[in-house]
Amino acid sequence: MVSGMSTPEMTAGLHLIGGQATRAAVGAEEQAHAQAAKSISIEDVSVSYALERSARRCVLENVSLEIEEGEFVVLLGETGCGKSTLLRMLLGQERPTAGQISVAGSRVERVDARSGYVPQRYSLFPDRTVLDNLMMGPLTSQFHILGRMRPSYWAARHAVRVEAFRQLTHMGLQASDAGKYPYQLSGGMQQRVAIAQALMMKNRVLLMDEAFSALDPATRSSLQRLLRSVWSETRPTVVFVTHNTAEALFLGTRLIVLARESKDDACGSRVALDMKLADGGMTLRSHGQQFLDLVEHVEAASCGQRRAALDVCNNGSSVTRPASESAEDGELP
Amino acid sequence: MTNLSPFDIQARPNRLLAQALSCLLFVVCIGLYMHTSIARHRENPEDRVVPNGHQLVAGIRSAEEDDYIAPDNASTWERLRHSMIWKDTASSGGRFFISLALLIPFVVLAVHIGLFPWFGAGFLRFFLFFDKIVALSLLPILFIAFGIDQWSKIALIVIGVAPTMILDVTQMVKAVPQEQIVKAFTLDANNFDVAYRVVFRQVLPQVINSLRLNLKPMMLFLFAGEMIAASDGLAYRIAIMRRHMGMDVILPYVLWVALLLFLIDFSLRVINRRLHPWFQA
Repeated sequence: MVSGMSTPEMTAGLHLIGGQATRAAVGAEEQAHAQAAKSISIEDVSVSYALERSARRCVLENVSLEIEEGEFVVLLGETGCGKSTLLRMLLGQERPTAGQISVAGSRVERVDARSGYVPQRYSLFPDRTVLDNLMMGPLTSQFHILGRMRPSYWAARHAVRVEAFRQLTHMGLQASDAGKYPYQLSGGMQQRVAIAQALMMKNRVLLMDEAFSALDPATRSSLQRLLRSVWSETRPTVVFVTHNTAEALFLGTRLIVLARESKDDACGSRVALDMKLADGGMTLRSHGQQFLDLVEHVEAASCGQRRAALDVCNNGSSVTRPASESAEDGELP
Repeated sequence: MTNLSPFDIQARPNRLLAQALSCLLFVVCIGLYMHTSIARHRENPEDRVVPNGHQLVAGIRSAEEDDYIAPDNASTWERLRHSMIWKDTASSGGRFFISLALLIPFVVLAVHIGLFPWFGAGFLRFFLFFDKIVALSLLPILFIAFGIDQWSKIALIVIGVAPTMILDVTQMVKAVPQEQIVKAFTLDANNFDVAYRVVFRQVLPQVINSLRLNLKPMMLFLFAGEMIAASDGLAYRIAIMRRHMGMDVILPYVLWVALLLFLIDFSLRVINRRLHPWFQA
């Protein structure tokens, strides 16, 4: 976890003592501090599945990423490029064939409560009302089945209920929606509740798998704005899978495009583009031609034709593309 | 709007017509029975194969009286409590409901088979094979193992129905979207929570529907057991009456069994609708 000692204190310590061992200790602490700032670490991960006649289909190949705390990372790519596979591995639902994944400082072995999850479909429990859906996480984590007989359960339940109503209104829903079942809600309302359900757990990592793909454009747009504002308030680390470039550029502070270099089964997807945006994301209205250039660039990368690393300042004036156009041999600069 | 032919998929009868149509086959069956009965009684007034109304009422009365001699002022309820049909219903009902209760652990096992890969690996193939064994062929073994008392019949019902229900419930559990299970784990649920608070709750309405579909096979196995070796029960009475050509008792018994099953099925349907309003959507 995060070390209690800040960097200036460490530097002061170095000046005062100056011993070799202390330097090493402080160095280790600095390393731990840097590690803690990394919310998600993906190290050289490859995934392949067995096909008939001992052949294998490689989905991901040597993917390495470091995602820092508070980043809004959008995973982009064509259908079948392994975006959802990577997200399932972050969740712990699947294991990589090679490499390792850490979330919140520890290795992912199974699905647990480290990350919140909002899938595209079946995001709510159909047999529970909206309120029960929201309350389920906190109550389950505090009280397992026999714990509900304890007197403290009712006090805790009341507090969770108050928080659930707060989240509900925060997501733009009415208090009267609390008693409804998911089938009585529209797709957009269901996804709002699903986001609130994940936020109720106060996770520092939120994983969203094409969460807005099944929605109409107007609802999608309003949910995108909602998600941006929710993220701006609490700054969780978000990994958002989509194949919509405009959505990715609007939401993300960092875009990662996965793409294959050939359609050969033996060749898996790699990181074709790793691009940092500033916190505000990009919008068509505010950035005009720059936005369109980026869309073109990102979509070209998703075809696996080129790789680039871009640093884009969000003030609309500077776009830096270090050696991106000349990286013909496939190596990142 | 053009009038559509009754054979058109898009044609819908109005409510009154739909209700009349649903009664039609009942009326036809009763009409055919009465016509046959009248025709046979015209040839032979003592005919017992297709009893007429008087014979049926007399048959029901005789089914109401066993060795108990009711006093003249006995109420209908008291007469009913001492009747053959009541005793037979109680005996068969007891066996039926004990079997029903014994199916519950198998439903729980099925949830585990569908959800926990280790359980699935251990049990699924066994039950896939066991399901193919004709339960009635086990009846002699059950009579040897459990005697001819009620436990052999209960065992027959459970062995006959449980494998099918296990496979059915296993499929229901497997059909629960993986997203729901993953979501539950991210909400800090443990294995027990996922199995019973998420998956079991979601499949319960389907389990009740599966049970409704299995009511008739359960009664079938019970009847098979009672007809072969029993000293009481609805099927035992029908088997006894068959020897005496007692159609005046057999027919009311058959209708009574059908009515009981219909009522159980109806109750389960109502309970399902009340308990799981979300499932009807």
